[in-house]
Amino acid sequence: MTHNAVVVGGNRTPFAKAGGPFAQASNHDLLTAALDGLVARFGLAGERIGEVAAGAVLKHPKDFNLTREAVLSSALSPATPACDLQQACGTGLETTIYIANKIRLGQIESGIAGGVDSTSDAPITVSDPLRRTLLKANSARSAMDRIKPFASVRPSHLKPQAPSVTEPRTGLSMGEHQALTTERWGISREEQDELAAASHHHLAAAWDDGFFDDLVTPYLRVAGDAILRADTSVEKLAKLRPAFGGEHGTMTAGNSTALSDGAATALLASEEWAAAHHMPVLAKVVDAEVAAVDHPGGDDLLLGPVAAAGRMLERQGLTLDDFDLIEIHEAFASTVLTTLKAWDDEDYCRGLGLDGKLGTIDRARLNVTGSSLAVGHPFAATGARIVPTLAKLLHQRGAGSKGLISMCAAGGQGVVAILEAV
Amino acid sequence: MSVPPAAGAADRPVQHLDAMPGMAAAFARALAPSRRDEARLPRHAVQVSGYRQDPARLAEYSRVCGFTLRDHVPPTWLHVLTFPLHVHVLGDRSSTVRLAGAVHVSNSMTLHRPVGVQESLDIAVHAQNLRPHRRGALVDLVGTITVAGDVVWEGVSTYLASGMSTPGEPEEAERPPWEPLVPHATWRLPGDLGRRYRRVSHDPNPIHTSRIAAKAFGFARPIIHGMWTHARALAALENRLPASYRVHVDFLKPILLPGPVGFASTAREHAIDATVTSRDGSRPLLRLQVTEAP
Amino acid sequence: MGALEKAFYSPVGKAVSAKAGLKEPPRLRRGRTWPDGPIVLASIGGGDLASRTMRLLGRATEEPVVDEGESAPGYGSRIGALVVDATAATRIDQLEELRALLRPAVRAIERSGRIVVLARPAAGDWEAQAVARALDGINRTVGKELRGGATATLLEVAPDAGPGDLVSTLGFVLQGRSAFVDGQRWHVDAANQAQDPLAERPLDGRTIVVTGAARGIGAAIARTLARDGARIVAIDIPPAGEALAAVANEVGGTALQLDITAADAGLRIASHVAQRGERIHGIVHNAGITRDKMLVNTDAQRWASVLEVNLAAQMRINEVLLDPATAGGIEDGGRVIGIASTSGLAGNKGQTNYAASKAGVAGLVAAMAPDLAARAITVNAVAPGFIETEMTGRIPFVQREVFRRSNSLSQGGRPEDVAETIGYLLDPSSQGVTGQVIRVCGQNLVGA
Repeated sequence: MTHNAVVVGGNRTPFAKAGGPFAQASNHDLLTAALDGLVARFGLAGERIGEVAAGAVLKHPKDFNLTREAVLSSALSPATPACDLQQACGTGLETTIYIANKIRLGQIESGIAGGVDSTSDAPITVSDPLRRTLLKANSARSAMDRIKPFASVRPSHLKPQAPSVTEPRTGLSMGEHQALTTERWGISREEQDELAAASHHHLAAAWDDGFFDDLVTPYLRVAGDAILRADTSVEKLAKLRPAFGGEHGTMTAGNSTALSDGAATALLASEEWAAAHHMPVLAKVVDAEVAAVDHPGGDDLLLGPVAAAGRMLERQGLTLDDFDLIEIHEAFASTVLTTLKAWDDEDYCRGLGLDGKLGTIDRARLNVTGSSLAVGHPFAATGARIVPTLAKLLHQRGAGSKGLISMCAAGGQGVVAILEAV
Repeated sequence: MSVPPAAGAADRPVQHLDAMPGMAAAFARALAPSRRDEARLPRHAVQVSGYRQDPARLAEYSRVCGFTLRDHVPPTWLHVLTFPLHVHVLGDRSSTVRLAGAVHVSNSMTLHRPVGVQESLDIAVHAQNLRPHRRGALVDLVGTITVAGDVVWEGVSTYLASGMSTPGEPEEAERPPWEPLVPHATWRLPGDLGRRYRRVSHDPNPIHTSRIAAKAFGFARPIIHGMWTHARALAALENRLPASYRVHVDFLKPILLPGPVGFASTAREHAIDATVTSRDGSRPLLRLQVTEAP
Repeated sequence: MGALEKAFYSPVGKAVSAKAGLKEPPRLRRGRTWPDGPIVLASIGGGDLASRTMRLLGRATEEPVVDEGESAPGYGSRIGALVVDATAATRIDQLEELRALLRPAVRAIERSGRIVVLARPAAGDWEAQAVARALDGINRTVGKELRGGATATLLEVAPDAGPGDLVSTLGFVLQGRSAFVDGQRWHVDAANQAQDPLAERPLDGRTIVVTGAARGIGAAIARTLARDGARIVAIDIPPAGEALAAVANEVGGTALQLDITAADAGLRIASHVAQRGERIHGIVHNAGITRDKMLVNTDAQRWASVLEVNLAAQMRINEVLLDPATAGGIEDGGRVIGIASTSGLAGNKGQTNYAASKAGVAGLVAAMAPDLAARAITVNAVAPGFIETEMTGRIPFVQREVFRRSNSLSQGGRPEDVAETIGYLLDPSSQGVTGQVIRVCGQNLVGA
């Protein structure tokens, strides 16, 4: 027996720049805060939910059971199970897919998908050589054997290793990868700055409209997204110096996402559960797809969503024109722009094994309440930010409205999903 | 800083401090053994007004004790904020009771309403209720935290000053009967826990961090602060605590570092009982009870 | 703490204040608690409504001691309350009977004890109407003379009201829930209520909307009503969301982040409630702001914001929720509660805008009540006096201490005192109480 998996609503903390107002908050603290706000919004205090799935990209070893621990600190029933799941920046969407699939299969009736990241609380680890030395010393039998391994330790081994978002196989940071892609696809600085400015303006307008009143709960006295610059403009952004791609690069701190802290959650349920519990039903999860590119072989790292979206649309018999709204995660402004270009590139799409290009979209339907450039991007949280946001937007447009979510993720991966208003 | 003259017996002089006093010097003073063995307490209260909490220290405190960082602070954190005033009151010349060497035997606190980390606190402490005990004298240090005239937190820490005397017959304290239990949690307390808790509590007592100091007081190894154990036990109950409540703790036995301890809790109607035990649950080390605020 | 505040709490200051008669205030009995001592029941002119209501409350009563001569007999031990049925008192000489009952009782009343007089609304001949008013003078004066947290209350009961109509009111007055209600008079109409005993959880399963619920009095209202069984919809402005979420989760309710001045606020409340398949039993319009300035410094903006939040917003919300066609609106037999203020009733320097809005609330409930009577919806307001909250904590110390002391109970009230009074008005069996303003002020020395 299959069921419809529907998005009931969501809650997130405001997002803030790393090292900012949430600098002291851990992943656990942030995720608990996001859960508690969700529980309050939907009156779930003491309720047992089918499962909570969430994750963090940067995680301390002690947080191996982060989500379950956050559930235990939250107002949910302690009998609510949870699992940690991680797919880099796609995490928050992948957890949604995971929960939605379980609901559709009838394994659970309700679930919470989420994600959290705190680049302020990133784990600092010891270097590999030092770790090996410590292990050797630990397993030694005599006192002398315990001391000996340390003779091989060099000063450089003692330097703590900060987390990096460097691709292990290419040694390039995500920004450096995207700089190559930007160059290859000929994306101009102006286009990127325009997209970034639009993101801020859209987000600011949505906050002014009270759109986020039932999507965000303040945390640690921060009531709104702290990265948002409502007064930014293409002119102001044009003054920033390139951050990636050398001195002639087009990618700046203004058209790239900032390292951020925050947590997001989405409440999903079967339609039956939602009805029985008198919960709102915003949109159903129609389909999802994950794809990957061969970036170690030279493919564009962040264009995974092209194949993912192509395969999913072919399966559903849909075209880009069928979507009322499209959410493309703004890792970088140029990621969005290259994704759009690639969707409209016959050769590129055929090269991925698709029947042809996906076509163009009406920009007025893209990221209408802003996206990661303005909101910020706590890696694992972003997907769980987008899902309830889009679900609410589609619901406002009326039953049958369709929305597409596209997210790029580290490792050359892309996660996409379709929501449809109920 | 001024000490107003004492007035009628019912009125307690209040010494207003401009800032929270440091504890290191007071502790050094307190380590010098008192020459008298008759316990005497200062009559006055000390107060610090408009105290601003440090969110970074709260975050670190929460991490060390196992609390989730929220806008609302744990009551044990508020105790930590009153602690320098405990030291200050007993460090007064008119006091023959010294905090160093005194044993924290029990603690009761009432959180009257949730207290936010951003709230400015008026913190007052005085000593009272000196009474005999078969091993010395018991004294209560009473802390009161008010926000804008509203009492939000009250705490009573009972210390035993060993070897001190005070007139009267000791009351026979009845220990509730003890049945060994099976702990449902084991906490492995690391050797550096005393140092980590010292950083957030600012309690400089070396008995918690130094083997030598611990030996001087008759312990084989450093012992963890009772208030850490209290906080850790409360943190273990965090999602079951109401918005305001009273929590009473009896510190029964010192806990040596490093080492494992057991933990068990039972929820009853309108109350939660919790016990920190030896690892196997055979001996109680700390007993905690949460009840509704009076 | 300012220098003055320090001085006040210093021993010298305390000695001075003790000389000035400022003693430590009595600790009040609160919650669903009955008086410790016996409840003494008396009747003037043979009315039996009080005795029938006491039977319904299930409380035993004792015979009164009557002061008949010079000897001034006493009770011998403390009594918990005196309930006098004066519904048949219409003659001046019957007031002497009341004196004879009150004199021994006032002497013997315990801490937080109660003196309750039941009377009829002024009617009949000239003397009867004069007597009705005289009872109020007695009530107010007894309230001021009582000590130790004891209070006096005058209940004007409609002639055809039965014990079922009075039970929730008399229960409230005798219990600790009315701790900070003193020297008050209000009406209880006939509402044909079944003769049910006092409910422990009168709001069981009923949906109550509380605005301004994130902190202070609003949070106390949410907690108290949840204790009485209500399903709480806790509303506050979005920036207060974290505190709001904590309150909602604590009481097992739902949080709705909403600015009540938004044009669609009423509809959003209704759709939140309708979504859950419910209708609203009661709404408590607690959200309010102050923008204090002397009138000579009050500009249009300060004026507008206070009237908007404190008065206009709730009128707009009521309009939507009272429309029978609104899904998730207020059910027939429902309750609307406004928050007035003693500042509004008596006037307060520096608060013209606030006083306007709060007196406006009092006017509003009086106007709405008769119009909604056909749907059995009651509309009432409570008028807090000095209540200890974060908001009043910001009042300068001397002023605050003066406010605190200037009532018959010599102390500020607590948020739950306001909440308990609201809970009483929300009680389905309080059907006969409508269009009233009940002050929760410890009988403030100023005010109506």
